[in-house]
Amino acid sequence: MKLGTADFAKYPFLNEASKFLAESHLDVDEFNRPEMEYIIDRAAVRVEVEMQGKIYKNLERHEVEVLTFLSALILVKLTKVEQIFKKHSLFEAMRAEAFLIQDLRSERDERKKQLLLFEIFKELFKVEVDIDPENAQVFRMKVTDYLVRSSHFHEEGWKVVNKTVHGGYVYLDAEEIVRLVRNELSNFIYEKIRAMSLSNVPQPMVQKANDLALKFRPTFEYKLPRISDYPPCIKHALDLMSKGENLPHTARLMVATYMLSVGKSIDSIVTLFHPAPDFNEKITRYQIEHLAGLKGGQTRYNVPSCSKLNSEDLCFRTLDCGEITNPLKFRRRAE
Amino acid sequence: MSNLWNSTSDLSFVRNAFREYYFKHNDLVETPSRINEREFGLMTFQTGMTRHLSFNNIREVYATLIRNTPSDFYCSNAYYNFPTNSMQDKGWKGADLIFDIDAKDLGLSCEVTHRYHLCANCGEMKDSTDGPCPRCKNLTVRVESIPCSNCFISLRNEVKKLITILTDEFGLGNENISVYFSGNSGFHLYIYDACFHHLDSRARSDLVGYILGNGIGPEVIGVRKGANNKVSIKFSKIGFRYGWSMRLARKLRIDQSSLSKLTNLINKLGGYEEFGKYIREYAKEIGIKIDPQVTIDIHRIFRHGGTLNSKSGLSKLRCVDLNKFDPLNDACLLSDTEVQVYVKPSNLKFKLGGHTFTASHRKEKLPTYAAVYLICKGLATTI
Repeated sequence: MKLGTADFAKYPFLNEASKFLAESHLDVDEFNRPEMEYIIDRAAVRVEVEMQGKIYKNLERHEVEVLTFLSALILVKLTKVEQIFKKHSLFEAMRAEAFLIQDLRSERDERKKQLLLFEIFKELFKVEVDIDPENAQVFRMKVTDYLVRSSHFHEEGWKVVNKTVHGGYVYLDAEEIVRLVRNELSNFIYEKIRAMSLSNVPQPMVQKANDLALKFRPTFEYKLPRISDYPPCIKHALDLMSKGENLPHTARLMVATYMLSVGKSIDSIVTLFHPAPDFNEKITRYQIEHLAGLKGGQTRYNVPSCSKLNSEDLCFRTLDCGEITNPLKFRRRAE
Repeated sequence: MSNLWNSTSDLSFVRNAFREYYFKHNDLVETPSRINEREFGLMTFQTGMTRHLSFNNIREVYATLIRNTPSDFYCSNAYYNFPTNSMQDKGWKGADLIFDIDAKDLGLSCEVTHRYHLCANCGEMKDSTDGPCPRCKNLTVRVESIPCSNCFISLRNEVKKLITILTDEFGLGNENISVYFSGNSGFHLYIYDACFHHLDSRARSDLVGYILGNGIGPEVIGVRKGANNKVSIKFSKIGFRYGWSMRLARKLRIDQSSLSKLTNLINKLGGYEEFGKYIREYAKEIGIKIDPQVTIDIHRIFRHGGTLNSKSGLSKLRCVDLNKFDPLNDACLLSDTEVQVYVKPSNLKFKLGGHTFTASHRKEKLPTYAAVYLICKGLATTI
């Protein structure tokens, strides 16, 4: 049994879908042909929708989808804007996630379902996912594979204690199992963009990419003020953020509470989070105000201790840290 | 000199007993897997802790134990590229998963009957933790415990409960689990399954939460929070077949047809928040009482198998058969040459090395292993 063309339309990043492109012997300069205009326009719209923080939901036949996916990657690469790379990767992952949940829920042929799981989880990410022998709507993943992924999620519901665990497996529904690999899928697409080497790109594509870059390039300059004043943990997190990395919740909490404690304004802290690929100003502002004790339970949150940060792999202690027990003391020491 | 030792003669006596042990029983000192990738550490009787040591083979370990006679000898759970470098430059490659179950964490009622208070400065006996030392007026207190047979029965049961979870729920084979008596008042469980080696602190913390029952919420049985402390219940397709959902379903006496029964129960308890509290308390009660920090720490050094524990003079030993292992006999391997010591508490009764000793606030002739045991706990001193 093999995946069909309808699957390539939904999951154009699969190795099998790439084979379709290879067999069609398509060169970049062929994007100049008049019939490709529709594809390039569609790709540009797809990127625009994603840059606005939405998932592009339109789905056409596989030839269109695979070419649109490729065109979008080329456009994104041509923008040379890191934040666009990251955001496009994340929203492409979320688009595939929505299709996959639907397929795993509705597909009645277990062999087909198993094949999808294999092609996406095993082939791309080396993770084995099985269908529960007792219920085809339930999936199971090795407990260690689960822990590696779930421990980055903040919500209590992802803690393994709130999951069914048996025989070395964690039992999950379709939505959960797919959500677990979102970051990996996003990184996978991001690496595809990074690895692309483009030459002889037709002018219309270059123009489209320039338009996208102009429209979605960050309007502010991301400058870290007097970075030497920050403790290494905060500096490391800020460095990653400036590169558009998707920081875990715990790291965001550390940065926000630290900045609040050293007297930064809510506005300036919100700005710090701008480069995050999933940035949403309204949500970010609410969360920072919550940490500041201005919203919700009115509790002001403290900066996590060094030992807490160490246990969360957020500590990057250097000799300058000395014996401090909280990142805030680093600043006081420097002063 | 460390405050642990009341006098240089105590220190010297215990160190000689330890040295004799390492001469006679170096065959008991275990060879860790991937020895050259481990960090070792040792505590000397006088100068404190030395870490970031490395050995290429077990003969080098034997030589160090005999030459230096440390009070305690440790080996990392982690494997490193460069074990002797500072922590951030070691190059972490993975770590064994280790659990620690100690009598002090079990909340045993017998503990008060064998707990002793000593001045942390001069070692004088005190009646309680309150007030200054009657001799030196120091306020710092050292609390010591002589674990009894009830402690070990409870510890053994807790270890068995942990093994059941690890095998049934985490799918570990018994061959990948080793149980060690810690050499004092607890047990260590080592998990050798390579699948767990690469887990970072965060993942281990999540795993620890599962074992302890920490962080559990009503969602585990499909109860979600609605508006105004109301709930919505949607039983999972997975059912209540295994793990925590099974344990809670049993406690609540519900199955997948008990929607209205569960709704009534939640309402009776006062809504979502109260139901959550009820579940958390139950999970805490039946969760395994492991020390979370020990398992979460991926850079920790652990007392090494076959070496002596300076809190007792007993050996840390692997329990081949947990049911038959008697810590106060099997791990008591110092010599039985009799020595005279001064026993501080009145009416002290303890079992060790297959004998029951009754000592009372006076000079006593005791076998070396019993004398070391009491001196290590600050309850006796050499004469």
